[in-house]
Amino acid sequence: MKRIECEFEAEVLAAVIQSRWPERVDPELREHALTCEICSDVATVAGAMDTTRDEMRAAIVVPDSGRVWWLAQLRARRDAAKAAGRPITAAQIVAFGCAVALLGACFGATSTWFQTALGALLTSAKGMDMNALVPLLVEHGALAACMLAVVLLVPAALYLTVGRDHK
Amino acid sequence: MFRDVTFNDVSRVDTLHDACAGFVMDEDTFRAFYDRTARGVWAYLARVTGDRQAADDLLQETYYRFLRAAATHDSEDHRRNSLYRIATNLARDVRRRSLLRPTDLVGHDIERVTGDDRTSAAEHSTDVTRAMARLKPRERAILWLAYAEGNSHREIAEVLGLQPSSMKILLFRARRKLAELLSPGSKS
Repeated sequence: MKRIECEFEAEVLAAVIQSRWPERVDPELREHALTCEICSDVATVAGAMDTTRDEMRAAIVVPDSGRVWWLAQLRARRDAAKAAGRPITAAQIVAFGCAVALLGACFGATSTWFQTALGALLTSAKGMDMNALVPLLVEHGALAACMLAVVLLVPAALYLTVGRDHK
Repeated sequence: MFRDVTFNDVSRVDTLHDACAGFVMDEDTFRAFYDRTARGVWAYLARVTGDRQAADDLLQETYYRFLRAAATHDSEDHRRNSLYRIATNLARDVRRRSLLRPTDLVGHDIERVTGDDRTSAAEHSTDVTRAMARLKPRERAILWLAYAEGNSHREIAEVLGLQPSSMKILLFRARRKLAELLSPGSKS
């Protein structure tokens, strides 16, 4: 089984971090690292990371902490306002649904054409077998398809519009 | 001249006040914590994403999410680990999005951090950057946390959301890979 750790690994790492590697360490440890793949890798990688980190940190310019705090506050306020507006949007959707239902009910109650068509449909539906549906669908197929599309598409469109506003 | 304040306005002001009160720390504590950690977090983000611009963008986002997280921290280390965990998740999200936009995250962008001068230190840094760019993002994160940040196996596992028991082997493999890439005969 291949070794994945070495007992001297920590010593090598400490020497690298304390900038003692390789000159200011026990010669035995140095000798060991020449023959131990793990310790040699630790010295190479830790040394590379240590140097790169110091160079990067010296060159990095991060935004001022006050600016980050201020931006976070602004964003928290914006998010809170958005969250506060969400129930209003939900209420608007419910109101829209009620309005559509009310409009439909009024239309159904006042339109003689609709009532006649509905009555005929109900009368024919009473003793109707499934085969009787076929000519009805053939005659009003386009209308039925349009109504079905509206029933399916309107909620989807509404959902997508409202969903986009909330993102 | 003056508009009457409505009930809606009052409740909105309360909501906004509550939004800032929801931060996990006050301004002074945050600023001190930010000054201690921001450079390290930026370097980590730059290393893991391989993109300086992404690191700039994600730094602000990391601290914002940290402030909004409803978490309690037992110690400074725990707080720091939470911060790095948020940074890790954000970097992962950027990487996922970049799969759809292959022109992003070329992996060599952070070479610009060390400037264009061809000194031996800058060349060394460039070599390390190029070698790191050939590792998997998780390997980069593991190596950076272990050797640049000095985290223990348990802390690295916590930040990356991995099992502590698997850290030894993951660290060994990532280290081996980078050491090979950094060796003089490598074509990195």
